[in-house]
Order: sequence, then structure tokens, then C-alpha cells
Amino acid sequence: MSLLSDLATPIVMGILLGGLYSIIALGLSLVFGVVKEINIAHGDLVILGSYFGFVALTIVGIDPILSLIIGIPLFFGIGFAIQKYLLNRAFRISMDATLIIAFGISIILQNTFQLVWTPLSRGLTTSYALASFSAGPIYVPLVYLLDLIVAILVMFFLRELLRRTYMGIAIRSAAQDRMAAQLMGINTNRVYALTFGISTALAAVAGVFLGLTFPFTPVSGMSFLIIALGVVVLGGLGSIAGTLVAGIAFGLAQTLGGYFFGVAAQMLVAYTMVLVVLAVIPRGIFGR
Amino acid sequence: MKVTMPRLHKGLTPLIGVIVVLALFPVIGVPRLWLLYLFLFFIYLVLANMWNLLAGYSGLISLCPAAFIGLAGYTMAILTWFGWPYYIGIILGSIVAALFAVLISVPAFRMKGIYFAIGTLVVPEILRYVFTIWAPVGKPVYGGGAGYTVKDVSGVSQAQIYWLALAVAIASVLVMRYILRSKFGSGLAAIRDNDITAASAGVNVFNLKLYSFVISAFVTGLAGAIFYTFQGYIEPVSAFSVRWLIVIMLATVIGGEGTEEGPIAGTIIVVFLYFLLARYAEISLIIQGIILVAIMLLAPQGIMGFIRKTLS
Amino acid sequence: MWDVSLSVNSGEIVAIIGANGSGKSTLLNTISGLMHPAQGSIEFAGNDISVLEPFHIVDLGIALLPEGGRIFPDLTVLENLKIGSYNRKARSESSHNLQRVYQLFPVLKTKEAQLAKTLSGGEKQMLALGRSLMSDPKLILLDEMSLGLAPLLVNDLYRALREIRERGLTILFVEQNVRRSLTEADRAYIMETGRIVLSGNVDDLREEEKVKKAYFGT
Repeated sequence: MSLLSDLATPIVMGILLGGLYSIIALGLSLVFGVVKEINIAHGDLVILGSYFGFVALTIVGIDPILSLIIGIPLFFGIGFAIQKYLLNRAFRISMDATLIIAFGISIILQNTFQLVWTPLSRGLTTSYALASFSAGPIYVPLVYLLDLIVAILVMFFLRELLRRTYMGIAIRSAAQDRMAAQLMGINTNRVYALTFGISTALAAVAGVFLGLTFPFTPVSGMSFLIIALGVVVLGGLGSIAGTLVAGIAFGLAQTLGGYFFGVAAQMLVAYTMVLVVLAVIPRGIFGR
Repeated sequence: MKVTMPRLHKGLTPLIGVIVVLALFPVIGVPRLWLLYLFLFFIYLVLANMWNLLAGYSGLISLCPAAFIGLAGYTMAILTWFGWPYYIGIILGSIVAALFAVLISVPAFRMKGIYFAIGTLVVPEILRYVFTIWAPVGKPVYGGGAGYTVKDVSGVSQAQIYWLALAVAIASVLVMRYILRSKFGSGLAAIRDNDITAASAGVNVFNLKLYSFVISAFVTGLAGAIFYTFQGYIEPVSAFSVRWLIVIMLATVIGGEGTEEGPIAGTIIVVFLYFLLARYAEISLIIQGIILVAIMLLAPQGIMGFIRKTLS
Repeated sequence: MWDVSLSVNSGEIVAIIGANGSGKSTLLNTISGLMHPAQGSIEFAGNDISVLEPFHIVDLGIALLPEGGRIFPDLTVLENLKIGSYNRKARSESSHNLQRVYQLFPVLKTKEAQLAKTLSGGEKQMLALGRSLMSDPKLILLDEMSLGLAPLLVNDLYRALREIRERGLTILFVEQNVRRSLTEADRAYIMETGRIVLSGNVDDLREEEKVKKAYFGT
């Protein structure tokens, strides 16, 4: 029984951490599923969200979560513009072109972070960021719980958006058959831009909660991108539920890996899992 | 295997002249800064050529050149701690890189298309992590491994390493030339256009991709190990850094993917760019990112593509 | 496609007949905006539409039912129909048009909540046709609507087409089946390797020696 109660904390932490990973992966999954692009700048867009929250907290003095009221539409606009003016054009050139341009955007973002905020590690240290709660043998930081709750809320919201609105159905139809969608009167280029906008808005949310959960640096984007890629592939394209489950799987892999192999090894376990997933599952468990 | 190199003879004399001049530079007292930039040019040229072999000709967008650079560099550096001379270390390091390529090709080639790119993105990160926490020799520094100095290279002159780099750069150009004019090369071109059609035409897709990948890894390793011999120390963050990929992509895209001269033209421009931006260290990378995006949108075929279009 | 010149008048049913590779699909794809002509123009209700994007052309009132139907497999029947009325003008009429589609094809109403990929071949084509009608078109283009379907089903589809025509829609359809084409249409064009080789009233065409010899044998 002692092993079980020892394991209880890493298991719960892993599940909650999975919530964060799934919000991070959600935007990536959306773009991959609809526009068929792998946005390797996504991790950096998430960190942009973290820095946005940082500015809100330290310079403007408002709570980062509150700042999302501005952050979400702002990031939506940024994403919309990126897809509309850069990536939509890249499509006509080649698939590789979108990858290279996303890479370019990633470099620009990372080095802008470095320039503006220095390589120093930052965190969103609000009053509640350090709080924790315990229930029996389980001892968990409060923000981890917030991460999971927000993940579920966001996913619910996204699902309703995709199901009940004309735009949502249009996005899903463009994902399934681009040509047929065009014949329905859908401007697929505009749909792609909207999708990327939503994805970037999700990145803003993910970034703020990431900043509350972990310290971050200008180059943190890469590590989270890699895990998000694993989550997207494992969870399957087009499946919101799958992304949540896969996120939790990776969260657990990390915390349990840390428990059994030491803190230093936890990222290694997660990364190895990403490689295994990429090699073994071209389509994802839940995907079509 | 029949190899014909008709064009080689025409441009040969001026080319040999250029090479001789370059080789004489250290001897005739050219400023050290020039030698440094030329050295970088040689190294980057090798890297760009090898990336072009994969992305421009084999249809493999490999995002892990840093893995081979770092592995070869670390092997070389660690071997010097055991008293092995640097030139042996360079060869062995490259072999290690090639073996690593074989190792990861097993899962990597299972990943189709874009998944391959993602998979290769992960690899340098993993290696960086490993070498940060693992100290194969010497006393563990705080945090585990971290950096190593390269031992016993103070006696080696800059000129020697310069010539080594020049030699490998020339070799990389010859390797590309040879491959592209061989049956191997036409097989690669077929794969690049369409995996499946190539396979049904009798091309052993897996084998050819593997050969490309391994050759690219080996030669990239050579360049990496030589670089770290020159630098005198190696540490995980920069060894496996994405910056290698940036310079490679920039050179290949500016020069023109899928062309033989592209990497050469592109590398010249990139090194020149570095020379210009040297004093603006912080925004230098931002500018490079912007250039990469701009070129991809406005001139995706690069310089060679542009030249070809205007000539035709 | 080389040398194509045709016209369709409001309220007509016009058929384009030809074997595989004669350019029929290319023609429809070009009208609907998926492709653009290198030369020449396409005029609809007085406007030149040859450079417009497909979504624009749908807005103007042309609907294309592509070859194979291409319904959205992972959307429900209802969602497929609903997305048909995506364009602004059709949205306000959406529920009204939906009822009319259900009138034409009652089976769609019973399977409303099912994923489209679970439908049979014939039902999928009905869904595709219904979906095209949801955009409230003035002209509907049909690319090989009956391909691969059992004759009874094909009858149902053409019966629906006749009903639609009663409501004032103009129909341009592409068919390989000559007999069927000449029965359902008012006029027809016959295409061969990218060119129109024959055209006219269906009654006249039926008498044409070429038509009799070349096609009624197959």
C-alpha cells in the first residue's frame, strides 16, 4: 500500500499536467487536422502567450488570466494574419515551403524574446501560483488543477464551436474535403486563416497557464512543441477527446518517469515516448 | 556504374586556380579574420551540400544535422581526453555520426513525409539533454556533463585546420557531383518526385534513402568535428543547437534547393551576411529569420532558380 | 479542352454526352470555378465569371455536384445539408430548403443524425444532390450523377431532377449514358476529346446517323 500512496502524487500530478499539455497541443492539432500544416512555430507562439501574461502581470499589473480578455482576440488576429499573408502563400509553392516559413517564424519569435526579455528564466508569479493543496497522501500545486480544469473548459467550448456554428461546420468540412467545401461556397483560404487564428488564441491561453505552472525562457518553445507533437500524433487528428487523453498519457509518462528514474530523466522519458509514438502510430489512436 | 563528368573539364582550370589561391592564404599572411570567415564558409558549405543531398535530392527534410555535428564533435573531444590525436577523433567521430544515422533510420524511415521531419526535430533535443546530464569523462561539472575542452590541440596551427576544412569542402562538392551523375543520383531524383512510382520502377527506396542519410551524416560529422577542433571546446547547448539548422536552411534556400551550385552560392551569401551582421549580434538572428521567410515567399527557387529562369 | 462553345437558357435541361476523357468534367469544373480557362469567357446572368473563385460562383447561384458526390463523410446527414446553405443568401432560407430536400428524399430525414459515411451509395448521391440544392442555386451542374448506381436509384434521382426543374431550376448535366441523356434533357451537346462535335435538340439528335451508329450500339 505504501507504493500506491507514494505513487498517488505523481499520478495525480501527471494527470493534471496532462491538462496543460493537451491545451498546448490543441491548437497544433487543429491546424494539422484542418490546414494539414505542421506549425513548428506553435511552441514559440505559446511562449509568446507566456510573455504576454508576463507583461500583463509585471508591467500593467493585471492578473495574467484576466489579461486573456485582450490576449485571446489579439492572438487570434496575429494567427489570422500569419496564415493569410504568409502561410496561405506558402501553400501554393510547396508543402516544404510551409515548414520552412514556420521555421523562420519560430526563429524570429525566439530571438525577439531573447532580445526583449533576455535569456533569463521568467515565471508568472501571481499570489496563487505558489499555492498548493493536499488531500490525503496527495500534495499538488493549485495551478496544476487549474490547468486541467481550463483544458476541459476550453475543449468543451471548442467542440461546441465546431458543432453548432456555421463556421465550425465549415472548418470541419474543409478539413475533410477541401474541394467539396469550396463547392459549398466556403472560402477555404479564409477558413484556414480563421483556424490558424483560433489555434493561436488557444496558444495564448496555453501560454498563460504554462507561465503560471513552470518557469520559461526564450527557448522553452521547442521542448513543449516536441511534447505537443507527440500528443497530437498519439491523440489522433480531429479528435478533441483524443488530445486530452494523449496529453494525460504524456503527463503521466513524465511524472512517473521522474519518479522512477529521477527528476533529471523525466524529459528524456517524455521525448523518447514522442519518438516511439511517431514511429509506431502514423494515424493516432482516435484519429480517422 | 557509369559516371560521366563532362562539365568538370570545362571549368576546371579557373576552379583549380581558385583552390590554390585559397590554400595559399594562410601562408601568405592574409588577415586572420579572413581566414576565420573562409573557414566558416568551408564548414557551412559541407553542411549545406549534405542537407541539399537529403532535402533537395532524396526528398528527406532532415531537421537533425545538429545531431551529427554534435555527436562527431563530442566523440572527437572525448577521445582527446584519452590521448587520441584529433585527426583520428575526427574520423571516428564521423563514423559514430554515421552509425547513429543507421540507428535512427530504423524508426525514422517508418515515418512518412512530414512525420519524418518532426521525428528528426526531436533528436538533437534529446542529445542535448543527454549530454547535459551525462559526463563520460572527467569530473562531472555542476549539473552533470556540460562542456569539454578539446585536449592537445594547442600545438596544431590554424593553417592545418584551415586546410583540413578546405579539403573536406572540396570533397563535399565532388561527392555531390559524383552522386548526382550516377545511377544512385537518378534513383534519388525518382524518389524525390514520388516515392511510390520510384518503388514500382524498381528503385530500392529504403536502401537509397539510407545511403543518402548515412553519407550525409558521415560528411556532416566530418565538418562538425573539424569545427570543434578549431574551436577548442564543445558544450551541449550550442553543439546541438537549432542554429546549425538555421544557417544550413538559409544557405540552401537562398542558393536554391535541388541544384548543385545552389549551396555554394547560398553559403557565400550567408557568410557574407554574417560578416555584415557581426556587430548586430542580437538582431542578427531575427534578420536571418525574416530573410528566410522573405526568400521562401518571394524567390522560393533561390538564386540558382532565378538564374535558370532568366536564362531560359 | 480545345474548342468549346455552349449556352444554356434559363429553365432548360441540357445534357453533355461523351465518353471518358472527352473533357466533360473539365468543362463543369471550369464553370464552377475550380479551374480557369486559358482563353475565352464564361458568362452567367450577364456577368463574366471566368476568373472568379468557386465560393464566389456559388454565391452567384451556380451549384456543382461533383463526380462521386463527395459528401463529407464525418459530418452527419443534417450537417452536410446545413453546410450546403453556407452562403449568406441561402442561410435565411435554410430551414425552408431543408424541408423541400426532405420532401424529395424522405430517407434523408430518417437518417438525419447518422454520419454520412454510413449511407449507401445511392443515399450518398441523394445527399449530395440535396446538399447542392441547399445553396438555392439557379443553375445546377451534375457530373455523372448516376455513375455506379442501380437503375432504380437512378430513376429516383432523375425523378427528383424533374421536380426540381418544375421549380424553375436550370440543369446542366454530364452523362455517359446516351439513352438516359436524350430522354431527360431538352437539348444536348456531344463532346469528343475536348471538342463539341454535335449539338441540338434531343429529338433531332436521336435521328442523327452518327449518334445512332456510334452510341446506341454501346
